[in-house]
Amino acid sequence: QVEQLKLYEMLISQARQPLLRHKSVLTPLLRLLSVCAEPASAPLENSLVLLLNQLCVSVAREPAILELFFHSHTDQGPANLIIFSLLIPFIHHEGARGQQARDALLLIMAMSASNRAVAQSITDNSYFCPVLATGLSALYSSLPRKIEVRGDDWHFLRREDWIGVSSLVLFMNSLEFCNAVIQVAHPLVQKQLVDYVHNGFLVPVMGPALHKTSVEEMIASTAYLDLFLRSVSETALLKTFLRFVLLHRHDNTTILDTLVGRINSNSRLCMVSLSLFRTLLSLNCEDVMLQLVLRYLLPCSHVMLSQKRAVRDLDIYGKTAAKFLSLIPRCCRPESPPPSRDRDEEPPARTRGMPLPGADVPPAPKPSTPSRLSFFMRQASAAPAEAATPRSPGPPAGSPPWPGPRDEVAELDRNYLEYLRDARHSIDRCAWACRVWSAPYDGEDPRAPGPTPDPDSPPGRPLGPPTPRTKKRGLPEEGVREAQGGPLGGDEPSAGGAGPDPRDGGTLVNGAHGAAEPGQPEGDVVVKKVRRSPQGEGEGGGGAPNGAPQARPPGWEPLPSVDSLLEELLARVPAEPPGAGVSIETFTEELREIEAEMQNGATPTEPPEPPLSHEEEEAFASFAALPEGDAGTGRAPPRPPDPLAQVVASPPRAVGPPPSQPFTGGHRGTGRVPAACRALPDPAVSPGPFVSVLFGKLENMPHNSLYVNFLLTGLVAQLACYPQPLLRSFLLNTNMVFQPSVKSLLQVLGSVKNKIESFAASQEDFPALLFKAKKYLIARGRLDWTEGPGAAPALRRPDTLARSRKPSLGELLLRHANSPTRARHAAQLALQGLRDGGLHPLAPPARHGEALRVRNAVYCAVIFSEFLKELAAIAQAHAVTSPFLTE
Amino acid sequence: MNPFWSMSTGSVRKRSDAEEKTLSGELRTSPLRASAKKQLPSIPKNAVPITKPASPATSSQSTNGTHASYGPFYLEYSLLAEFTLVVKQKLPGVYVQPSYRSALMWFGVIFIRHGLYQDGVFKFTVYIPDNYPDGDCPRLVFDLPVFHPLVDPLSGELDVKRAFAKWRRNHNHIWQVLMYARRVFYKIDTTSPLNPEAAVLYEKDVQLFKSKVVDSVKLCSSHLFDQPKIEDPYAIIFSPWNPAIHDEAREKMLTQKKKPEDQHCKSMHVSGLSWVKPGSVQPFSKEEKTMPT
Repeated sequence: QVEQLKLYEMLISQARQPLLRHKSVLTPLLRLLSVCAEPASAPLENSLVLLLNQLCVSVAREPAILELFFHSHTDQGPANLIIFSLLIPFIHHEGARGQQARDALLLIMAMSASNRAVAQSITDNSYFCPVLATGLSALYSSLPRKIEVRGDDWHFLRREDWIGVSSLVLFMNSLEFCNAVIQVAHPLVQKQLVDYVHNGFLVPVMGPALHKTSVEEMIASTAYLDLFLRSVSETALLKTFLRFVLLHRHDNTTILDTLVGRINSNSRLCMVSLSLFRTLLSLNCEDVMLQLVLRYLLPCSHVMLSQKRAVRDLDIYGKTAAKFLSLIPRCCRPESPPPSRDRDEEPPARTRGMPLPGADVPPAPKPSTPSRLSFFMRQASAAPAEAATPRSPGPPAGSPPWPGPRDEVAELDRNYLEYLRDARHSIDRCAWACRVWSAPYDGEDPRAPGPTPDPDSPPGRPLGPPTPRTKKRGLPEEGVREAQGGPLGGDEPSAGGAGPDPRDGGTLVNGAHGAAEPGQPEGDVVVKKVRRSPQGEGEGGGGAPNGAPQARPPGWEPLPSVDSLLEELLARVPAEPPGAGVSIETFTEELREIEAEMQNGATPTEPPEPPLSHEEEEAFASFAALPEGDAGTGRAPPRPPDPLAQVVASPPRAVGPPPSQPFTGGHRGTGRVPAACRALPDPAVSPGPFVSVLFGKLENMPHNSLYVNFLLTGLVAQLACYPQPLLRSFLLNTNMVFQPSVKSLLQVLGSVKNKIESFAASQEDFPALLFKAKKYLIARGRLDWTEGPGAAPALRRPDTLARSRKPSLGELLLRHANSPTRARHAAQLALQGLRDGGLHPLAPPARHGEALRVRNAVYCAVIFSEFLKELAAIAQAHAVTSPFLTE
Repeated sequence: MNPFWSMSTGSVRKRSDAEEKTLSGELRTSPLRASAKKQLPSIPKNAVPITKPASPATSSQSTNGTHASYGPFYLEYSLLAEFTLVVKQKLPGVYVQPSYRSALMWFGVIFIRHGLYQDGVFKFTVYIPDNYPDGDCPRLVFDLPVFHPLVDPLSGELDVKRAFAKWRRNHNHIWQVLMYARRVFYKIDTTSPLNPEAAVLYEKDVQLFKSKVVDSVKLCSSHLFDQPKIEDPYAIIFSPWNPAIHDEAREKMLTQKKKPEDQHCKSMHVSGLSWVKPGSVQPFSKEEKTMPT
């Protein structure tokens, strides 16, 4: 038999003409094959698979032959694709035989895509799909229960980790085969296979595996799941995995909830879980984000009612960035200011004033943005052309304590531009990816589910019970924020340094609101926020522009473009004799007509418009200057002059803009708000378990290990890059007033800052330790960079491997996390001359507990500062995201 | 209508070309513009910054250096954000471009398509005060003084202040100034004019006013190809229609319109995932449930 098989194989592979067309070849071949269906010896199997593979190649080359096989009746039964059924047993085999079988099967799958009969025979008359899927289960069960850990920074399986583990290689081969089949096969096959993977592998095997009681097994299964998610590239298969993670309930909890909870566990399991979530977030999957975060934010119950409209606000003046940066612990700030040039530029530019480019002034005025210079400088410093932009006036002169290495450590203080660049890139990417989402999540769309609001209830009813409630809750909130945020936040710089230096104030004036006006209560900021209308909503408009003859009637609401109407109208006019143009009389008349039309159409229920309507010429009325004192007489709600009064008054004011707010609007009308709110289950006023866990972990940063902090901050940064206003405002709008029960990111970071500062105060050699920590991390990162991008894992979805922390230390370090030799090498390099510190993670654990505590806290100080810069950069980059990415 | 000119700037400005097309063909502008990839002007890397001799650093406030050193980023980013807002507005016929040397100076051009000033193409420059956003309102100066009650006949400066008596951060944005600049050509306001002659004529002798306007529009058009008033790599420059250059550009834009997806972000072939039915907040709601879990 073996000889016969070999003979046929040779014949087919060598033949220059299609032999299989001839019955005289085919019939004995088929007879031979049907004999081979019985179990046989290894050499026979080898030859068989080889022959089958060869047959498939021929068939793929000439699909007509397929019919011949198809219709030949054999002992195996009619219409049964014998090649195919013979191959199935080899699907999961290892080595060359298995690979050949899989290749051959893949060829058949590809043929099924265009041939429904083949597809049907695969799904109806073969065990292909069940064998493939349940094979995964079998292979999974032979995977190591415990992942041998090579370093305390290990947190996910990379290719080089599993390529040496044969059972894992087997599994991955089969998984990749599934993926490939789904990629090429007919939808029928696709669907059947996906279903079997879900019901035959994920639910019965993966589910229980993730819920094993031993921590080691949890770690292993979580890492496996992460690996699988990263390896699957076909949407249909990925969907099944995600559906399993998001919706499948094991012991009454979803897999997702279980995984979220594990972030809270201690080191390794936490890291592996964080790593899994990094993978999930990098998918930019609406369903994932919905379940993880968005659904908790949708009701907007985490913000004060008055703040709902601020959800979409963009912070264009960099206030948020300033807030984040102000949280950098004092002990971590550079000894001396970064290159002073950009600051030196500032005052001259400010005083220079701008010459009037009048008729008699030659075209001279070239005002310079001071910062632009610093942009150049910083960019140049990243490029080789460093010599062109000396940073000579920089810190080296002023900071003697550290000799040579000082420079590169000081570099950390100047990498903000890189964070900005990176933030821009990440946000653009994310925004671009999210354009396939079903909704913008901007507080209006989609509406939150839950207790059905009465959208029709009259909105005019004055606020009964809600007012006092919000008031009471609101004011303490202010107090808390001030008490917490104040000392660390706004007035920090002046407290920390030269005090009311006018120059300092000048530099900050563009955004560092808190810093520029240290004495101001947070409330003021809030007021501004409240007062500011989401652009184009025409809030605060009212009244006519000073001196404009055609005063806008009060109650004017922006409506779909006047301009388009106008253009439409006027497009008809050119019928007139050319040159005559439109007479001014008709024009103004028409304009008035249009206005009247628009006004009639203006219903107060108009929901906030998409950006397009901003172009609305009539929005002019909303921003044009009003004579002082006129503000109150417009249609806009009266504006109390007193900021504090404003805060108090703001909740009721929100009633003004009619039921554009699905929830509050409806409830408020019937006065049921408080009841409804209180009745809502707890999650309604919390940002959800995921965010809560992350925040909890963040708050604990000084005690986390270095690696946990890397992953953790990277994950939060990843989250912050999402452009959905609900999420963005929750994390990054530092002016938002949340319900007292909801902690803000800023509060969390503020408490970390305090912890670090008090630690630094208690540790007398903190500066030295900090320096060593930075030095170590830089050395480690640099070494890894030199390995080049070739060292990147060759996974199937390289694009999804969010290297969110690339420029920061985190990613640098993590990238070689699994390569013990490299890590050791790096560590040794970094340790030269630094051994004394006892800071280095691989150092023998002397005085273990205490040393560990100190080490973690010092590393945390470094990471925390970098993290704040990263967040600040992300906040800034959100304001300049190109609108074309999301349109 | 003279379709045979085009506009170019030192950098890639696709919108300008789109606009040009619009004028000649009266196409709808918005789809074109929406599809054209609009990038914020990049900061040229090879530029040698105009450096002032570094004054002896007075590092008096060393401890709050961290904070202070980020200041410039706020200004730059605020202006970038303002520019992004302008782009979002899609003001018909208004185009601006921050200058190369300073984000505080924007070059612009406005196309008037209807009304008294029809066919007007007015170049202008916006000057943003360097203490933005806490300073005065930006100033807008036309390159040539257009004959208009609100435009200074000598300096060409538009009376912006009347609309923005007080510039309020968060409330006022630069796109509003541009919108205002466009609006004045459609709604003539004669109160307290900068050009009394124009105001009086408009009130008393519209015909003469109209002919003066026509002259003014013609004058501006005749200077369209002049060198920009302010020398800057990003200044807006018009040049006569040159098929060798512009035909190709037009072609490119029209194809871009068809396949915005491909053209958009070659570097970003990432796509997110969604199985959420629009309007629903349930995951995997897009399809009927196919399998029991």
